[in-house]
Amino acid sequence: MKVHRRLLGLAGVCAATGGAVAVLATGAQAGHTRASAAAAPKQIVVGTLYASSGAYAADSLPQYDGVKFWVNQMNKSGGVYVAAYHKKIHVKLVAYNDQSSPTTAATLYSQLITQNHVNIMIPDFGSVLTAPAVSIAQDHHQLLFDATASGTVFFTPNNPYIVGSGIRNSAFWPQPLVQFLVAKHIKKIAILYDANDFDAAQAATLDHGLKAHGIRPVYYQSTATTTTTYGTLIDSIAATNPQAVIEFGYNTNDVPFLNTIPTSGHRFNMVFTVFPGQLPQLFQQEVGTKNLGYTYTYATPPLVPYSKVNLGLNTAQFSRAFKHSFPSVPVTYPAMAGYGTALIAQEALAKASSFTQLAMRRAIGNESGKLTTAIGQFKITKDGAQEGEFLPVGQVFPSHGGTTIKVVYPTSMATTKAKYPAPKG
Amino acid sequence: MVLYALIAGVLIGLFYGFAALGLSLAFGVLRVVNIAHGDVIVLGSYLAYELSTQAHINPLFAIPIAVPLAVAIGMVFYRFVAPSLGRSKDPEMLSLILFFGVSQVIEALATIGFSVNQDTLLTGPVGNASVQIFGQSFPNYYPVAAAVAVPGALLVMFYLYRSRLGLATRALMSSRADAMLSGIDVGRTSALSFGIALALAASAGALSIYVNGGVSPSQGTDLTTTAFAVVVIGGLGNPAGALAGGLVFGLAEQFAQSYEPNWAGMVPYVLLLAVMLVKPEGLLSRRVRYA
Repeated sequence: MKVHRRLLGLAGVCAATGGAVAVLATGAQAGHTRASAAAAPKQIVVGTLYASSGAYAADSLPQYDGVKFWVNQMNKSGGVYVAAYHKKIHVKLVAYNDQSSPTTAATLYSQLITQNHVNIMIPDFGSVLTAPAVSIAQDHHQLLFDATASGTVFFTPNNPYIVGSGIRNSAFWPQPLVQFLVAKHIKKIAILYDANDFDAAQAATLDHGLKAHGIRPVYYQSTATTTTTYGTLIDSIAATNPQAVIEFGYNTNDVPFLNTIPTSGHRFNMVFTVFPGQLPQLFQQEVGTKNLGYTYTYATPPLVPYSKVNLGLNTAQFSRAFKHSFPSVPVTYPAMAGYGTALIAQEALAKASSFTQLAMRRAIGNESGKLTTAIGQFKITKDGAQEGEFLPVGQVFPSHGGTTIKVVYPTSMATTKAKYPAPKG
Repeated sequence: MVLYALIAGVLIGLFYGFAALGLSLAFGVLRVVNIAHGDVIVLGSYLAYELSTQAHINPLFAIPIAVPLAVAIGMVFYRFVAPSLGRSKDPEMLSLILFFGVSQVIEALATIGFSVNQDTLLTGPVGNASVQIFGQSFPNYYPVAAAVAVPGALLVMFYLYRSRLGLATRALMSSRADAMLSGIDVGRTSALSFGIALALAASAGALSIYVNGGVSPSQGTDLTTTAFAVVVIGGLGNPAGALAGGLVFGLAEQFAQSYEPNWAGMVPYVLLLAVMLVKPEGLLSRRVRYA
């Protein structure tokens, strides 16, 4: 009994002490919350650039729309939650038009940081327009939430101020393509790529991947990103009698490349280009069913849907909501990348213990591998490069009133079998 | 590959020369550096695109439509800006700034009117079949572009060397003051020359949409740069030199694409530098300067 009483007494003391500590802690937290709320900014400023004209406009504008969609969603729900202040804060979007010019973009990135004092910075579409932001952001200790710049060179051990939040690092993109080519026993492969970080990284990965399987490309050349005349290049490629032709370019390269092949008098069993999977409506319009049919591309969301997500809307929900908000804008990958990137920024704000750029970087780094959004898994390397998203190989099939892109590799994700070689005519 | 690059270089080179003719004429006659030249080519491309997609008419019909339209617009525009250029101490520099503004306006309007996306024509000017030349297959628009460019250039030559207006134009090219003293209506001749220069650019647009794989509002700057390089290689102010410059540019580009594609964008400009160092007045400048 004595023992019981002593135990009960000890428990009572512990409970009382614990209660007191809890009350004190709660009081302290309440005090901290009040102090934080008082110091909280009136708005979270999100800065981005877009290109209303020029080579990257077709991709940049939908990415910008994706960011705008997220801002509207956040503000409708009372703002974005900022853990450092334990409250939701209204989001303000500041965006400037760089007209697809990296030089203009460099000036505007500086303006966003030094004059607009943005809290969240999302660079413009692609590697070419993001490149100027990387060093500027690093110099100003501003974290970049990179949506679609996937060049390997941006992610280095000594730069903590960039996190790949949308598209997978382009060096990883061709991995399924390598496996597909090997599985199909395609050994004579021609690779033409544009001389920029985005395309060069893909070409290098494909080249290394093939060589690891004892395949040496019969044609491996780069060309200027501004190239739009492909007759002579296609003739040079045809002279090597390839079984597959892989062209890594931007959509402004892919369109004339695909349109020149049928008129060149040459025919290839397999043609792969990058952007039909990301901008299917544009390619349907500019290349057409006949020239696009049976070519290959990366299959990206929304063609590859993610129904189970733990952050934001899933692919189908996003498609519906986006169409409702932007009825005239097709739901394409760049739009989803803009939204997906903003979600990663949202999570960084929701998890960072203090309202600093490095705290956000640490917080989002801790979430690597745990988040799935409408564009796939968010998983980054220690350097910040996105490696979670997976881009299967898709093939364009003629269908009633146009074309449909179906996943043909890997077999675990395939929705149909690849038609190789491509049917004549 | 050598034969292919050679033929492609000649065919595309003739197109480049034709596309640069208007720029050369405007500079030769008026001492006007038309930075908006490429944007006028873009407008010609859009006319061809609209004719083909909306009216289902062969895009090459854009040429006979564009010529009178561009001549009229050019003449009116020249009359509008000529007084300012005439008063300027440095009309070449003023024209550079003026046409930079015009270029920006055209690009902005084209963006509003046609969207930012690249527009392409899915059917070639004579179908989609390839054409065999000396056993090599070419897209049919290569020879079509050359077939339009050559008579187009010949017409300009005919105008310059076989017509009274052409004589007046060459007199202007030689000396504006002497032309005025000899009773030539300098204002009317200049305005007409500017209109013809715009018409040539717009006509080249009907071919450019094929050769350059499509048309977009922002394409004008690149086209102006190419035309400028072609004109400088051939000799500023010399329409015949423009064709020669086009051939050099086209051959350099196509041979580079065959053997070192990554250099294809640079090689023609290296040639430009070489020509400037060896013959700063351009390949064919003398004949017309003193014509």
